[in-house]
Amino acid sequence: MFRYVARKAAGWLIMIILATNATFFLASWFLDPRSNYRELRPVRTDEQIAHALEPYGLSPSWSVVHRWWYWLSDVVLRFDWGHSPTGVPVNSEIPQRALVSGQLILLGTVSAVVLGIALGVYTATRQYGAVDRAGQAVSIVLFNIPTAVSALALVLGAVWLNQRFGTTVLHVAGANTPGVEGTWPTVVDRADHLVLPTLNLTLLGYVSWHLTQRALLLDALNADFVRTARATGLTRSQAIRRHALRASLIPTVTSVAFSIPAVFTGAIVTETVFGWEGMGRYFTQTISQNNVDGVVAVAAFGAAATAVGAILSDIATVALDPRVRAS
Amino acid sequence: MITTLPTSAPDDSPAPPPPRLGRARLYVRRFARNRPAGAGVVIFLVLFGYAAIGGHVSRWNWSDQDFLALTEPPGASHWFGTNQGGNDVFTQSAHGLQRSLVIALSVSVLTVVISAVVGAGAAYLGGRVERWTLAVIHFLLVVPAFLILALVSNRVSGDWRVLILLLTLFGWMFTARVIWSVSTSLRERDYVLMAEFMGVSRRRIVARHIIPHLGALLIVNLTLGVVTTVLSETALSFLGFGVKTPDVSLGSLLADGSVTISSAPWLFAAPAGLLVLLTVALTLIGDGLRDALDPTSTAGGHG
Repeated sequence: MFRYVARKAAGWLIMIILATNATFFLASWFLDPRSNYRELRPVRTDEQIAHALEPYGLSPSWSVVHRWWYWLSDVVLRFDWGHSPTGVPVNSEIPQRALVSGQLILLGTVSAVVLGIALGVYTATRQYGAVDRAGQAVSIVLFNIPTAVSALALVLGAVWLNQRFGTTVLHVAGANTPGVEGTWPTVVDRADHLVLPTLNLTLLGYVSWHLTQRALLLDALNADFVRTARATGLTRSQAIRRHALRASLIPTVTSVAFSIPAVFTGAIVTETVFGWEGMGRYFTQTISQNNVDGVVAVAAFGAAATAVGAILSDIATVALDPRVRAS
Repeated sequence: MITTLPTSAPDDSPAPPPPRLGRARLYVRRFARNRPAGAGVVIFLVLFGYAAIGGHVSRWNWSDQDFLALTEPPGASHWFGTNQGGNDVFTQSAHGLQRSLVIALSVSVLTVVISAVVGAGAAYLGGRVERWTLAVIHFLLVVPAFLILALVSNRVSGDWRVLILLLTLFGWMFTARVIWSVSTSLRERDYVLMAEFMGVSRRRIVARHIIPHLGALLIVNLTLGVVTTVLSETALSFLGFGVKTPDVSLGSLLADGSVTISSAPWLFAAPAGLLVLLTVALTLIGDGLRDALDPTSTAGGHG
């Protein structure tokens, strides 16, 4: 088991390294750090700008390969992910932001997968019942709502709720309230801020799990091995739980990994609407501020999140699928 | 929608064989029976009409500014209200919808063509070409496509024609993967083998036995691809990396509306409502097409 996971992780590490380095070249090609200095008064000459950018390894007089080597050796030797064009170290921004986005992505993915699979199983065992039809209709509408629309609708709802009760029931901006102290108040405050963004990611994410899990379980219910299981004397729900569900979960968990990039994209929009200072906001800020090193760090974070999801779903596949041998 | 049904009820012979419908009429009949799909078509046609002539029925132009009516709620003069700059939201939404529709439709068509050629090509050619194509597809699925899209699209600063190219470039992989896997399994089907043994020519096998199976998939992907494109274009424009001012799309209108969501909710409501109507309508149409074109379907065969 350990060797299997290690081998998969090594494969993903290579993917991350490739994707991160490719992003460095793309970002260097499309972002121009010099433009951050062009707006300044008094007007800087090109030499002055190049001089200002040089300590950060962004000097336009260097070749792309030279800049890449400077960036790579910093990352590899000192785990220093570079600087913004104005000299803000990327490392000072990342840990806090990665934590904020990490919990959002993790909670959003997990609750979406759990809710979607539960609904899929419930509706598949009651095919064409009232709940099944209603769930289907709701899912089709939710599936088509852009992230921005649903996030803003949630904000409107929360603002209405807060006005109704005359106090802040649900926070609509930021990841925490500044000035809250003590362990317990901090936890409550953070959790309260988490509710709406997580709800947004869950509502948009669960639909595909619901629909695929429903279809997969319906296929499995008519399979021969489930009939055999019934013939050995198991009740219908036992046969579903031990045989049909287990078989139908395999394709679902393998596709969790490929849903992470979509969740990350959703998180970018969600963070923007709810004013969270996470990786998503950093993504929009770094691109509009020509922050090459920052963009690359965001790409590395996204690739790492995908890899973590992929390895977790590999482990789940080994646990569920008796045909896969982990050795 | 029911009026398109052909009236065919042969009852003169004692045991009439069910009339064999032409394939196109069979598809139309199956599609027309599907009520949600019919509703989808109606909504889509209304939206299409609004995008096409919405800018001409109002006396305002989408880029005009009415300085006597800033941030005015919907009323008799400005049907959907105005924004902070005095732009008429009704005509702006029509223009934005038009932009979003043009982008989504062209990207979707281009994507389906590219992924069909790549996916089916890889499956038929096999060998090294197949392996390398799959490797490229898998790599592109892992790279942060949205980030690259935002990077490039930000640089070209909001030209919608470039946006079409970009969304196509990063949108074909998943469909190509699906088409590849379907084509490889189609290649191995018994009826294809049987046709080969019967000496049917290769081209005829492709046209009569493989394309009908693939064709349904392609058409469904075409409609669902429009939904996907609308969603990514909205996300990009909302974040400020897609269509930019002075041009407007539904995503950029949404971003404008989000700033004043509690003081001027109509700025948010118009683009949000249009977006949801558009995507839901297209999904209903796509589902209806999938049911109608499914070669294994038994629905609506006769009677």
